[in-house]
Amino acid sequence: MNSSADLTRRQLLARSAGLLGTAALANVFGSRLYGADPTPWMPGQTHFPAKAKQVIYLHMVGGPSQMDMFDHKPQMQAMFDKDLPESIRNGQRLTTMSSGQTRFPVAPSKYTFTRSGACGMWVTDLLPKLAKRADDICWIRSLYTEAINHEPAITHMQTGNQISGRPCLGAWASYALGSLNANLPTFVVLVATPSNREQEQAISARLWSSGYLPGEHAGVSFRSHGDPILFINNPDGVSPEVRRETLDGIAKLNEIAYQRSLDPETRTRTLQYEMANRMQASVPELTAIANEPDSVMQLYGDQARIPGTFANSALMARRLVERGVRFVQVYHNNWDHHANVGGRMPSQCRDIDQPCAGLIEDLKQRGLLDSTLIIWGGEFGRTIYSQGGLTADNYGRDHHPRCFTMWMCGGGAKGGVIHGETDDFSYNIVKDPVHVRDFHATVLRLLGFDHQRLTYRYQGLDGRLTGVEPAQVVQALMQ
Amino acid sequence: MIRRSCLTIVVLLISSVLSCAEEPIRFNRDIRPIIAEHCYHCHGPDPSSRKAGLRFDREESLFAARGAEVATVVRGKPDESPLYQRISTADLDDIMPPEKAHKPLSPEKIARVRRWIAEGAQWEPHWSLIAPVRPILPAGDAAPIDRFVRQHLAEAGLEPAAEADRRTLIRRVNLDLTGLPPEPEAVATFVADTSPLAYEHLVDGLLASPRYGEHRARYWLDAARYADTHGLHFDNYREMWAYRDWVIASFNADQPFDQFTIEQIAGDLLPQPTRQQVIATGFHRCAMTTNEGGTIEAENLAMYARERVETTSWVWLGLTANCAVCHDHKFDPLPTRDFYAFSAFFRNTTQSSLDGNIKDSAPVAPVPQSPADEARLIALNASLAASHVAITARRETLNSDLNAWLATQDATKLHALINAAGAPAVHLPLTAATSDGVLTGTTAAGQAITTHAVKPVRDWDDAPAGKAPRLHNDDDTTIDGVPDFGRNTPYTFACWVMLPAASSDTGAILSRMDDGDGYRGWDLWVQGDQFAAHLIHRWPDDALKVHTRGGLKRGTWQHVCVAYDGSGSVAGLQIFIDGTAAAVDVEADTLKTTSLTTAPFKLARRKNGGGVATVSLQDLRIYATRLSDEAISRIAGAGQFATVLAKPAAERTAADREVLLNMRVMSDEPLRQARAASARDEAERAAIMRRGAVTHVMQERTDATAVAYVLNRGQYDQPREKVEAGVFTALPAMPTNAPKNRLGLAHWLVAPENPLTARVTVNRLWQEFFGTGLVRTTEDFGIMGDAPSHPELLDWLAAEFRDSGWKVKSLIRTIVCSSTYRQAAVATPAKLEKDPANRLLSRGPHYRMDAEMVRDVALSAAGVLSPMIGGPSVRPYQPEGVWESVGMQESDTHRYQRDHGEALYRRSMYTFWKRQAPPAAMEVFNAPSRETSCVRRDRTNTPLQALVTLNDEQFIEAARLLAARILTLGGDDPQHLDAVAQRVLSRPFTPDEMAVVQGSLTRLRERYRAAPDAVTALLALGETRSADTLNQVELAALTMVCNQVFNLDEALCK
Repeated sequence: MNSSADLTRRQLLARSAGLLGTAALANVFGSRLYGADPTPWMPGQTHFPAKAKQVIYLHMVGGPSQMDMFDHKPQMQAMFDKDLPESIRNGQRLTTMSSGQTRFPVAPSKYTFTRSGACGMWVTDLLPKLAKRADDICWIRSLYTEAINHEPAITHMQTGNQISGRPCLGAWASYALGSLNANLPTFVVLVATPSNREQEQAISARLWSSGYLPGEHAGVSFRSHGDPILFINNPDGVSPEVRRETLDGIAKLNEIAYQRSLDPETRTRTLQYEMANRMQASVPELTAIANEPDSVMQLYGDQARIPGTFANSALMARRLVERGVRFVQVYHNNWDHHANVGGRMPSQCRDIDQPCAGLIEDLKQRGLLDSTLIIWGGEFGRTIYSQGGLTADNYGRDHHPRCFTMWMCGGGAKGGVIHGETDDFSYNIVKDPVHVRDFHATVLRLLGFDHQRLTYRYQGLDGRLTGVEPAQVVQALMQ
Repeated sequence: MIRRSCLTIVVLLISSVLSCAEEPIRFNRDIRPIIAEHCYHCHGPDPSSRKAGLRFDREESLFAARGAEVATVVRGKPDESPLYQRISTADLDDIMPPEKAHKPLSPEKIARVRRWIAEGAQWEPHWSLIAPVRPILPAGDAAPIDRFVRQHLAEAGLEPAAEADRRTLIRRVNLDLTGLPPEPEAVATFVADTSPLAYEHLVDGLLASPRYGEHRARYWLDAARYADTHGLHFDNYREMWAYRDWVIASFNADQPFDQFTIEQIAGDLLPQPTRQQVIATGFHRCAMTTNEGGTIEAENLAMYARERVETTSWVWLGLTANCAVCHDHKFDPLPTRDFYAFSAFFRNTTQSSLDGNIKDSAPVAPVPQSPADEARLIALNASLAASHVAITARRETLNSDLNAWLATQDATKLHALINAAGAPAVHLPLTAATSDGVLTGTTAAGQAITTHAVKPVRDWDDAPAGKAPRLHNDDDTTIDGVPDFGRNTPYTFACWVMLPAASSDTGAILSRMDDGDGYRGWDLWVQGDQFAAHLIHRWPDDALKVHTRGGLKRGTWQHVCVAYDGSGSVAGLQIFIDGTAAAVDVEADTLKTTSLTTAPFKLARRKNGGGVATVSLQDLRIYATRLSDEAISRIAGAGQFATVLAKPAAERTAADREVLLNMRVMSDEPLRQARAASARDEAERAAIMRRGAVTHVMQERTDATAVAYVLNRGQYDQPREKVEAGVFTALPAMPTNAPKNRLGLAHWLVAPENPLTARVTVNRLWQEFFGTGLVRTTEDFGIMGDAPSHPELLDWLAAEFRDSGWKVKSLIRTIVCSSTYRQAAVATPAKLEKDPANRLLSRGPHYRMDAEMVRDVALSAAGVLSPMIGGPSVRPYQPEGVWESVGMQESDTHRYQRDHGEALYRRSMYTFWKRQAPPAAMEVFNAPSRETSCVRRDRTNTPLQALVTLNDEQFIEAARLLAARILTLGGDDPQHLDAVAQRVLSRPFTPDEMAVVQGSLTRLRERYRAAPDAVTALLALGETRSADTLNQVELAALTMVCNQVFNLDEALCK
C-alpha cells in the first residue's frame, strides 16, 4: 500500500516526543522500528546557517499609529483639518466605522520627534530610551497587509493567512528548529496587561495554535497570575516527595504494562511524566524574578516587578530565552486608537519604552542579542485622517492596512537600517514595500530557512507560512 | 560516502520492485499518487498554474496524441513515452519535475512508472469518485470485516492477535459505546457469563444506553463545531445547546444517517417541519460569527458561506473544497466555479452579517421550557393568526363604507384625536423658518423655542404638510430646551423623515449624544435600509440598541417614532415606521447605567458629528411619556390625513385613500379591541419565550433564490460570474426536478449514487473505534488524501451502511462484534516491524482517550458523575484567569464564574465551550477550539497532559472521592487496592503490580502520618466533602494512590 499512509519517522518522533530532545528519544525507540527517514531535515538542521536561534516577538495588539511614533511627517502640520486629497485615498476601502464620514480631515501628529542615532531615524519623543538604541534597530516603515479589521489582520500577521487555522510563526519555529532545552516548552506566550485598558482588542488562543502542525508545536501560555503554566504546581498537601513517590510507582507500573503489550507509547508516556516533573522543578526558579539584581531591574524599570506588565513580560522573555526557550511571543494590547490618541499614546509608549530598550541592552550584555531576534509591531497601521472629532490636541485614527512600521533587533537583523518610505500622508508606500509575507520570509531566513522549503504536508498541499503568493526575502534587512 | 549509501538504496529498491514483479501495477494504488504529488501542480486540474497545456488528471489528455506530437504516454512503450523520457533523463534542463520544484522523483518511483507503461498503462478514475460497489467477500467463514483484514495480514505474513481477555473487552467496548468505564459489577457478570452470545448481549445493552447517544454526539459536535460563544471579536454567549441535545437524542433514537443529514442541512425546508427538525438546522448555525465594528457586510457574508461549504465538504464528502476558494483545486476536479455554486446553497438565508453580540441572533427557534408551554405556544400562534384574519376582515369592512365616514370628519375632530395623547414636551412643526433661516417651536407650557445653527436653513422639500427644511450634518443645528431622558425615564419622539434617494450613508438623524464620551445619550440613527435607536451610557458594554429589519426607504417621506418605556431593557425600546411597530433586531442589551448627558439636542448629527450628510425633517414631537401605540399611529396619520382630507375626493390617489382608511382604522372601537386582544396574546407569547430558551437555526429567504458570484481569488469585493446553486460537477448531478436549495442539496448528499457520503461516514465511525480511519485522512478522500488501507473493506462497509438504510447502531454493532475489534492490544516484534502504526489491524486498538473521556472516567470511578442529559452548558473547575487573560473585557464571557454542586460533575461534553479559550484542561488533551469543523483530533502525548491529571483540582478531588468511597466499605490494604484497580482498570492488579502499589501506599501513609497539615490541605481540595469519620491519614494516602492509578498509561488509554 501507499507508504505515505504510515507515520514518517519525523512525525513519530515529533508526535511522541513532545518537548523532549531527540537524544532522550534514542532510549525510547530502537531505530530498527521505523525504517528510512524520508524527511529532509531533523530539528535544528537548517537550510542556511542560522543567524537567529531564538525569537522574542512583541506584538502590539490593535495597530499602533505609525505617524505618531516612527513615520515622521512634519509636512502634515500645515495640513491640519484640511481634507485628505482624493488622489491619496484613491478609492481605498475603509472600515464601516469611518466610511460614513463626510470628510477626511488630516490630523497631524501632536507629538514631537527627535532624529536619533547615526542612522538618523526619527522617533517620537514618547520613546526616548528606545530612540537611544536606534542604531541597533532595523526599522521598516513600509510594511503592508490586505486585512483591515483586527481578527483577520492579527491572524494574518501571526499565521500568514487571514483565515484562522494555520500555524503561527512560533509554531513554525518549534516545528523547524525543535527544542533547545529539556525542562521548558519550546514556544511560550506571554499576554501583558497594558496600564490603560480602554480599547483592548480580542486576542485568543487561536493565535498561538499549531494550526495544521502537530499539536505539540502550539504555544504554551505562561500566566502572570496563579500557576505560570497551568497545573505546574503540585496540589496543596502534595509535597515533592509525595509526588516523587507517585511518579516512581507510575513508572514501574507502566513498565509492567509495556512488557505485556510492547506498545512504545506506554514508555513514551513515562518519559513525559518525568519531563513534567523536571518542568515542575525548573519553573519556580524561572519565575523567581525577584532574584534579578537591581542592575537588571533598572534596565527594565520599576514596572518589571509587577507581574503581568509589559516590562515584567520583557524581562521574563529574556529569562526564557536564556533558559533555551526557542520562541517567546509577547502580546501588548490597547493600541486601537479610534479616538483619543492624545489620551492613550503617552501611557502606551511609557509601557514599552524602557522595557524594549532594556531588553536589547540586557540581551547584549549577556551575549544573546546576536542569536536572538526581537520583533516589534502590530497588525496594521492607522490613518492620517481623523476619525471622529479633530482638535489640535486630540483626534482618533482608523485602521490603515496600506503602510505601517515594524522593527527588528539582533538575531542577524541589520542595525541602523531605515527601510522603506511612505508618502507625505503616511498613506501609501512610495519606496521598498514589504508585504507581511515578505517579512515572514525574511524572519524565516534569519532562522536559517528557505520559506519555500519549510513545509508541512496538509490536505494534500505542502503548507507553508508564506502561502502560495510569491514572497521575497528582504536582503537589506539582514546583516 | 553519500553516493555509496544512495546507491545502496537504489539497489534495495530495485530488488524490492523485482521481488513483487508478479503482481501487476494498479493505477490508483501505485501510479496516481506519484503523478499527483510530482506532476499535478503544473499538469493538473488548475488551469491557472498549468504548464504547456498538459494535464495528467484526465485519461483523454494523457493518452491522446497532441497534434503532430506523440501522446504523453504510449501504452506498452515506456521508452517512446515523453512522460517516462522526461522523468528519467539525465539532462538537467529537461528533467521533470524541474529542479526548482523541489520534488525530485525517487529511482523506485521512476521504475514503477516504467513498469506501469510497459504493462499497458491501465487507467482508473480516482477511487473515491466511483460509487462503492459491494465487493466479493474473501473466502472463509469469519465475519466479513475479519475476512478482509485477515487477507491483508496474510499478505504481510502476520497473524491476528488472540481475542482480548474479558475484562479488557468489556472496558474497551464500554468506553467505545458510552464513553464511560463499566461498573465492577457489570465486569463480574460478564466475566462469569458463559453463554456464547454474552458479548453480543453486552453490546446490545450498551447500544440501548442513553450514554451511547451522548458519546456519539460528542464526536459529531466536533464536526459540527458546536460551541457556546460566537467566536469572533467579543466572543459573546450564544444560546445553542438545544441543537447539542437534538444530536444526542437523534443518536439515541438511532435516526438513520440519511434523515440525520437531511434535517441538519435543510430541516426548515421540509414540509411542515417539526420543531425538532428546525432545531436540527443548528448544524450550520454553529459556525463562528462576528460583530466587530467596521467589518464589511459583504465580506462577512462571503466568509460565512465559504465556511459552510468547507464544513459540508469535509464532513460529508471528504473533500478539501477550501482549496478551491481562490483557484481551481490543484489536485481534485473541483473548479472554483463549483465552489461558489455550492456556496449559493448557503447564501440565501436570513442571517445577518453581524451577530449583534447577543445570545439569540436571528433567526432562532424557541425552545419552550415545558410541554405545557409548548402546547400554549401552539395555541397562541393559532389565536394570533385568527386575530390577524379578523383584523384584516374588519379593515375591509371599514374600507367598504369609507366615503360615508369621511363625510362626518373635519379638522377639529382630527386635532382632538391627535391631542388626546396630551401636548408634546417640545413640538417643532418644521414647516417654515424665520427670515434669517431659524426654525421655531413651542414647549408644552407654550414657551417659544428657537434653534441655532452654524449654517441656517437654505433648502426646502415638499413634505406631508407643506414644505420641510433640508438639514445637513455640518449645519450643526442645535435646539435648546429639549428635556434629557435617562435609563429610567419613558419618552417618545416622532417626526417625518426623508433621506436623499441617492444617499446610502450611516449616521444620526437627531440626538442628544456625546460621541466624545463613550457615545453617552440617545438618538435616532440610520444604517443602510434600517432605522435604529440608541440609549447609551458607554458603547457597547453599557447600552441599548435596536435596528429595524429594513423598512427605511430613501427618497420617500416616512413617519418614524421611537418609544421607550423606561424599563432599562431592550424590550422596552421600539421603533414605529408610519405608525406601525417595526420588527427589530437587537444589537446591544447591556444598559446598566444612566444615559443622561450634557450634550445638546441636535438635528442631523451628534455632538461632534456622526450625522447623516443630509436629511429633511417635519413635525418633530418629543413627549416625556411613552405614548400608546394607538396615539403614535394617529400622530403618524395626522399630517397626511389633513392634507388628503382637504383634497376633492376625485383627485385622491390610491395612496391617499390608504391614508384615509388608516385614520379610520385607528379610531375604530371593535378593531381597537381586537388589537388589544392580539397584544395580550403577544405578551403571553413573549413571556413563554422569555422563560424558555432559543436556539440558532437556518431560515431560507423567501424573496430570493439561491445564487452566488464567483469571487475572484476569494475576494468578497471582486464578484465575477453569477452562478446558480449547484453541486460539484465531478460528482453525480442533482436530479433535474430537485429543488435548487438546501433541501435539494441534502437529498443529493445521501443519494445512493453519491460515491462519497457513505464511505466518508463509515470511515469516520471506524476511526471512532480504531483511532485511525481506513482512510487516515478523514477529511480528505481526494487525490492527495491517503489511499485506504483496506479499500475493499471500506467499500463493503459503505455499501452495507447505505443499502441497509443508513443504520448507525447496526453498523457499529457489526464493527465492535468483529474479531478484528476484539483482538488483544498486544504487539510482537514482527508486528512492530511490519505494522508499526497498526494500519493492518494486526492487534486490538489501544490509544490515549480523548479529553472528555479522561475526565468522565475519573468522575465515574469516583462515583460523582451526574447522569443528567442536556440543558445549558456548565462551568466546572477551571484555574482562574483562563478566560480573563484572552478576549475582550467587554465580552459577556470575559469572566469565568465557576458553578457549584452537580454542575461540577456533569459529563465533559456539557462543559461551556468558549471558543477563544476552550476548556483549559481539555485543550491540553487536544480537544479542538471548535472554531472550525474538526473530523480528526490530534492525539499527542505531552508533559502538559501529565500535569493536568496529576495536579488539576478536579482530578485530585476525584481521586479523594474514589478513595473515600472505597474506605467507607471497610477492609484492609489489599482489598482497598483491589477496589481501586477494579474501578479504574476494570481488573485486579497482578501480584507484581500489587507489590508496587502496596509499597506506595505504605510509604505514602508514613509521609502523611508525619505531616498532619498536608493531610488537611490535601483533603480540603474540591467542593464535595468526604466523611470526617474516615481516618484522615488513610484517606490522604489512598487518595494519592488513586491519583497514581488514574495516571497510569492503561488508565488513560482505552
